[in-house]
Amino acid sequence: MTYDKNSKKIVDIIQSFARKHSLWILGYGTGCGAIEIPPTMTSRYDGERFGLRGAATPRQADVLLITGYLATKTLKRVIRSYEQMQSPKYVIGFGSCTINGGMYWDSYNTINALAQYLPVDVFINGCMPRPESVISGFIELQKLIAEGRADGAEKYQKNLEWYRENQKKVIHNWKMPDYNW
Amino acid sequence: MREKETTLYLGPQHPGITGNMMVKLKVAGDTVVKAETHVGYLHRAFEKLMEQRTWIQCFPIVCRICVPEPDPNEENLARAIEEIEGREVPERAKYIRVMVLELARLATYGLWMGGQAGSMGLYTMPQWTVGDRDYIIDLFEELTGGRIYHMYIWAGGVRRDLPEGFTGRVLKVLDYLESRLPDYDNLLFNNAMFRKRAEGVGIIPKDKAIEWGVVGPPLRGCGIKHDVRIDEPYEIYDKLDFEVPTAEGGDVWSRALVRRQEYEQSISIIRQVIDKMPGGDYYNKIPNPLTWKVPPGEAYVKTESARGEFGYYVVSDGSDKPRRVHVRGPAFVHGVSLLEKILIGANIADISFIMNSLGTCPPEIER
Amino acid sequence: MQKKDCIENTCVERIQKIFQTAEVEIQRDKRVVVKMRLDLVPPFLAYAKDYWNFKHLAHISCVDWLEENEFELVYMLWSYETNIMLMIKSRVDRSKPEFVTLSHIWPQAETYEREIHEMYGIDFEGNDRLGEFILEDWEGIPPMRRDFNTIKYSQENFYQRPGREDAQSVRETISKHSGEEVPDFAKEFSIRRIEE
Repeated sequence: MTYDKNSKKIVDIIQSFARKHSLWILGYGTGCGAIEIPPTMTSRYDGERFGLRGAATPRQADVLLITGYLATKTLKRVIRSYEQMQSPKYVIGFGSCTINGGMYWDSYNTINALAQYLPVDVFINGCMPRPESVISGFIELQKLIAEGRADGAEKYQKNLEWYRENQKKVIHNWKMPDYNW
Repeated sequence: MREKETTLYLGPQHPGITGNMMVKLKVAGDTVVKAETHVGYLHRAFEKLMEQRTWIQCFPIVCRICVPEPDPNEENLARAIEEIEGREVPERAKYIRVMVLELARLATYGLWMGGQAGSMGLYTMPQWTVGDRDYIIDLFEELTGGRIYHMYIWAGGVRRDLPEGFTGRVLKVLDYLESRLPDYDNLLFNNAMFRKRAEGVGIIPKDKAIEWGVVGPPLRGCGIKHDVRIDEPYEIYDKLDFEVPTAEGGDVWSRALVRRQEYEQSISIIRQVIDKMPGGDYYNKIPNPLTWKVPPGEAYVKTESARGEFGYYVVSDGSDKPRRVHVRGPAFVHGVSLLEKILIGANIADISFIMNSLGTCPPEIER
Repeated sequence: MQKKDCIENTCVERIQKIFQTAEVEIQRDKRVVVKMRLDLVPPFLAYAKDYWNFKHLAHISCVDWLEENEFELVYMLWSYETNIMLMIKSRVDRSKPEFVTLSHIWPQAETYEREIHEMYGIDFEGNDRLGEFILEDWEGIPPMRRDFNTIKYSQENFYQRPGREDAQSVRETISKHSGEEVPDFAKEFSIRRIEE
């Protein structure tokens, strides 16, 4: 179960093939981009043929889809949900607000760059992205999984102090459990 | 034997299409004893941002206040600016605005039907209605360039004229939607399980409805007939012929009946608009949008959106940025103080059912 | 036209007869604006709801006039029988902003007052649900006041992603990354932009 790029065993190839064709998305629409997820999952732009479906709890989910801007109140809940998910897990940043703040760059309540607080694998830009862009973002994630480069979870574990320092600067009342796996 | 009371946090996600809002409950067994709502998960500080943007830059930002139905917001801001300035809008622009508003109303009712059935466990209905709503969104994309956020209505009229053959395509889509209504009836509205589940749940008492600030379809579901399109007609609603349906009871079932009948009325309004549309100008030109100053004054305008009465209070002090824009959506009262009152005595399984029927949309509670 | 004029004019005459220190004017068709002292507002609202027919409270709003050192509270009432809107305005001193709650007349006024308390800092006595409503763990002055600078706050607290420093064409960068060709009509547009 290694993500070592140098030694590509046959086990890794079969595992990543299985993982990339069954991605379960946590059913949490965090921002205004969540209005384009129902059209992606219904019969016109069928998302289920790629293996995407919704999951109810963080323990059963693989992908966390951050749809749009994040207020600091939601960021605290999103961090807690992310740490409850089990490896292997991926984060997709959806919309221009996760890249550089988007339309709300000068607001006192929304964060500007998501990559400082959570490890993001794929960004999809647009305001908001069309269902075809969403599907092409998932195909990009599938390519990264097949090559073994989607290692956001390991990056988070190794640089935990850096991420924590950034998060505590924004969230003042820090009463969260420790992250120890 | 009295059951022990526990505290339950029903968190930001809910089944159905509501949005991020938390309800803190005190439950005894399966019934709710006390409820408290917590909002603020989607706060972006729109009103502060609008004080830093020029008047023309406010239009793209205003449509993102209400996510399922952005057009009443643009129309309210445009009408408020026109009232302060005294600017005239040509007739053709008014007809086009009414057509866009009614198409947005149809799309929102489609989403509502999906959300109401989805929170009950009937997942076939969202697949049908969200898929059919895509045809209306295709029309919007052809007319305005964007699927969800249009930025099409602005002060002085609309941004561009209708493309050639557009009204023919609108009529085809309307015929298709009318042919789907018997299927929706068979699945949801004539369904005995939905009726048994929805009758007697979430009742708003009729004598207290106006005092508690109820507007829109919940008010018409109590038997009181008020609608902004009739009380204070704006654009060209006084020249059109339509009815405002009501139902008695005040529970989830009567609100569903009201919305189902308004769906048909909207389709007939769009047909009348297409019949009567005049030719002419579509835009009364602003001299130079980059250095546009609105004279000092204030205005309060109202629109009837799919969920109720939408109000905007705009104050200008003569400079090129607004002084104060205060937005009041229908969910501000429905989702915070009304919900705390009518959840008492309900089952836990009915909470998101009631939230879907009131039309709570948290992005417009906290902007 | 004659009849509509009558309804607004009767409103104006009635208010001027009973509350003599108020200034009343007709702003336009269906809008009557009343400016009055702060201590007359609760009795006027109770009179308008119980003895008159203005039963629907549409909106409570607040405007910050920093230059005159005052807040302005605006109450909007709508009558379903005569279809007239009353806008009642009164000024609150900015250095000592406090007033009383009106949730005993309309229960929904509690929500509006919670929002005004959080965003402007006006204290409503008698409303015991004032406190955290929309913002969480907010330290600082109430954010909708005109002397709060939101751009400075955002730049100090949230990491800003730096912009592109070179004038590289976006289409060429994307096509280099994904390995696809830039189509001919797009090449012409991009080159023209760089030369301008």
